[in-house]
Amino acid sequence: MSEVFEPKIVAFVCTYCTYAGADLAGTSRLKYPSNVRIVRLPCTGRISPMFILKALQKGADGVLVSGCHPGDCHFDHGNYHARRRWTVFNSLLQFAGVPEERVKFSWISAAEGIKFAELIRDITEDIRKIGPFEEYHTLIAETGSAAPL
Amino acid sequence: MSIQEHYRSRAKELLSAGTVKMVIGYGAGSTPDRRRPVFITSPDEADRLVLDTTCRTNLSGYLLREGLLSDQKQVAVFLTVDGIRSLNVLAAESQLDTSQVLVFGFGIEGDQARAIEGERAADFKSVIAAAKEQRKSQPADELQEKLEAMTPKERFSFWEGEFSRCIKCYACRQACPMCWCRRCVVDNNQPQWVNTSSHTLGNLEWNLLRAFHLAGRCVECGNCSRACPADIPLHLLNRRMADEVQASFDHYPGMDEAQEPVLASFRKDDPETFIL
Ligand code: SF4
Ligand code: SF4
Repeated sequence: MSEVFEPKIVAFVCTYCTYAGADLAGTSRLKYPSNVRIVRLPCTGRISPMFILKALQKGADGVLVSGCHPGDCHFDHGNYHARRRWTVFNSLLQFAGVPEERVKFSWISAAEGIKFAELIRDITEDIRKIGPFEEYHTLIAETGSAAPL
Repeated sequence: MSIQEHYRSRAKELLSAGTVKMVIGYGAGSTPDRRRPVFITSPDEADRLVLDTTCRTNLSGYLLREGLLSDQKQVAVFLTVDGIRSLNVLAAESQLDTSQVLVFGFGIEGDQARAIEGERAADFKSVIAAAKEQRKSQPADELQEKLEAMTPKERFSFWEGEFSRCIKCYACRQACPMCWCRRCVVDNNQPQWVNTSSHTLGNLEWNLLRAFHLAGRCVECGNCSRACPADIPLHLLNRRMADEVQASFDHYPGMDEAQEPVLASFRKDDPETFIL
């Protein structure tokens, strides 16, 4: 393969913290890889595990799910609910054999532009190292529908 | 008096007195080692009831049959500890009122079925508490341990092999007392979350979603695995989820009918080892 592998990463973020953090990274002119496609949602409590599977099904090599730190949720406790769900879903993903590098969870506040940029850099590098999610891509190919990502 | 006789005469008594309008139990099946659910509504039919070690199906789901409990009358049902737990989960999720349900409790020990003391869901608190303790000390499944020891790649290909056999018959869903949603997400086509054709990818996503949806609700009764025509070890996924909610949130589903659903509640100090 002569082409350089460019990881495709989908980030599901809440609008009040992580999205604002990403925005800050942009307005502060911090550099981070352009491999990430951001999907903004009202709250981490709205981020269903189905979104993660859907992103993988569309050809993502990695997924990031991120929201406000505990205690900082705009809706008071959406992220506490999300945390329980992530704990259980993460464990299920591990058991199913999805490598832990591929689905990451984080808390990034509106003030943490630097953390956002660094995290995207790290995730992109990690996924670059392990390569495309071949196993999943093979399954996608079997369905006969192209992965549009 | 054998336990079968005991419950037959109890059923007759309750039906004759009009205390219950129906007894949901086990009857003879298509082969000597199979049982099928029977729905007894008159005392003279009560002799069709069978109770022995082959009575494995969790019958609690039949209580949700549309309209069955809407007349406020009582129904009696044969339930193991798992079944009583699922009854509690259903009550906690506002799907039924346990005051309408009379429990014919039983347990299977070795080659014998024995009665469990009590008639109302609330009478079995200590039995359920004991089951919770026992689960904690229960050794892991051999196959489960093997899986845990594999690399992610090996695990992925194990499940790929298993899920490739799934024919999307949804028998696992139909058989589960906890799958009571009127409209299942997999039947949703706008947007379609899970492919309806049974290719391995869609099967993988279906099976993961099913396991997740049952996390903290599954009572490990085994209805789903027994129903699966493709012999997919669904119980391993359920078990892993049950391990997780017990370890992380000390949650054992179906303790009582006031128990908060684990994924609809939280504690501020819930563990978060993996969040960056
Ligand atoms: S998921 Fe399976 S084992 Fe769990 S409650 Fe439903 S049928 Fe029983
Ligand atoms: S019962 Fe088995 S084959 Fe049928 S949908 Fe469930 S997992 Fe697939």
